[in-house]
Amino acid sequence: MTSDETLAAEYALGLLEGEDLLAARAREVRDPAFAEEVARWQERLAPLADAIHPRMPREEVWQRIEAELASDDGSADVVSLRRSLRRWQWAGGLSAAAAVALAFLALPQLTGPGEPAPDIATAPGSDAPLLAANMPIEGTPLSLDFTYLPEKDSLLVGAVGLTADGVHDHEIWFVPEEGDLVSLGIVTPGKVVAHTVPEDVARALENGSQLVLTREPLGGKPEGVDAGPVVAEARFTTI
Amino acid sequence: MQPASKQAREKLKAAMVRLAGGDRDALEEVYRATSAKLFGICYRILGDEKEAEDALQDVYLTLWRRADRYDADRASPISWLATFARNRAIDRLRTGKVRRGAVPEDEAAPIADETPLADTMMIDAEREARVHTCLETLDETPRGAIRTAFFEGRTYAELAERMDVPLGTMKSWIRRGLAKLKTCMEAGE
Repeated sequence: MTSDETLAAEYALGLLEGEDLLAARAREVRDPAFAEEVARWQERLAPLADAIHPRMPREEVWQRIEAELASDDGSADVVSLRRSLRRWQWAGGLSAAAAVALAFLALPQLTGPGEPAPDIATAPGSDAPLLAANMPIEGTPLSLDFTYLPEKDSLLVGAVGLTADGVHDHEIWFVPEEGDLVSLGIVTPGKVVAHTVPEDVARALENGSQLVLTREPLGGKPEGVDAGPVVAEARFTTI
Repeated sequence: MQPASKQAREKLKAAMVRLAGGDRDALEEVYRATSAKLFGICYRILGDEKEAEDALQDVYLTLWRRADRYDADRASPISWLATFARNRAIDRLRTGKVRRGAVPEDEAAPIADETPLADTMMIDAEREARVHTCLETLDETPRGAIRTAFFEGRTYAELAERMDVPLGTMKSWIRRGLAKLKTCMEAGE
């Protein structure tokens, strides 16, 4: 096997850790040929899981899931928006033919039951563009997703998959062209939460605007103390 | 092996598609049909009831929030979900949030038999489980290492330590085993 094929197999099997794991994850995101090889290995290995005994989870687990769903902030909006975004991100990396097929497949999703999903590609009523940023968390395979909704002066912060460590919070900061950083609130691990954006920040946000994440004591940066270390950063792009 | 009925598989597939469209009832349907299977996987990897419950919750919430990743044309839904759950459980091990507990020997034992469960409704009949046959063609050492990696989510370093061999040795055993596995499986693809 080539070294890429070997890496794909090792990654799919879960043998990697540390920097090797991070590097493989990055490859999977950026390199479609590598991602395809990983998927093939996952498919090859998947039947092994047939040998694992099923086990009934307690009913409480489903109740917890339902409770989480109920507490999702404006969940229907957020979820359908995230899906629209993701479709857009996907389409960006696909051939025109694939994108057409994708749009066709995606159609039922846009006209699902309940409230109509916002068609964000042509979001009416505002000249301000949607901005999105992805912030990888170093040392983990996870990342924070930021989406700025100009009409609502609202920043959706997606921290799905992250868990609190019980001793720190992480604070989001907008980095203006000049002047002090402006706090945009504290990350809520495991959730998608809408953060209100102060007006001056809303006016300044544009393609390329920078966000940083600092590690703080629980509750965020205390008054009169310097902010904690910057642990991650990201820049917005117009979508 | 008693295969999943085609009907059950198609029903699950349809629920996955509805789920991607934001239908919350579809999530419950998928959960009811697959949670025992996925919980078994999380528990096997994490070795702890409580951690496995957290992982399971995370699996279905992530599924709900990112359901559009499933490609119905490509994979059987149960295979895809099983891979997804295993990956999420391993993520938890790797991010260091979880300290692995030990799966009691008697519960781990059925794995050593390498026998796919006969009573699992969700086993996919159309998928030729060639990996079982091909694993058998490997030498005992690489076969054991690959199986342990799959079922327990062990890293190279952990496997080397467990078998008391240098890391480089473990890597070359497994890499040779994977190459052989690939050749064998491609013969049937």
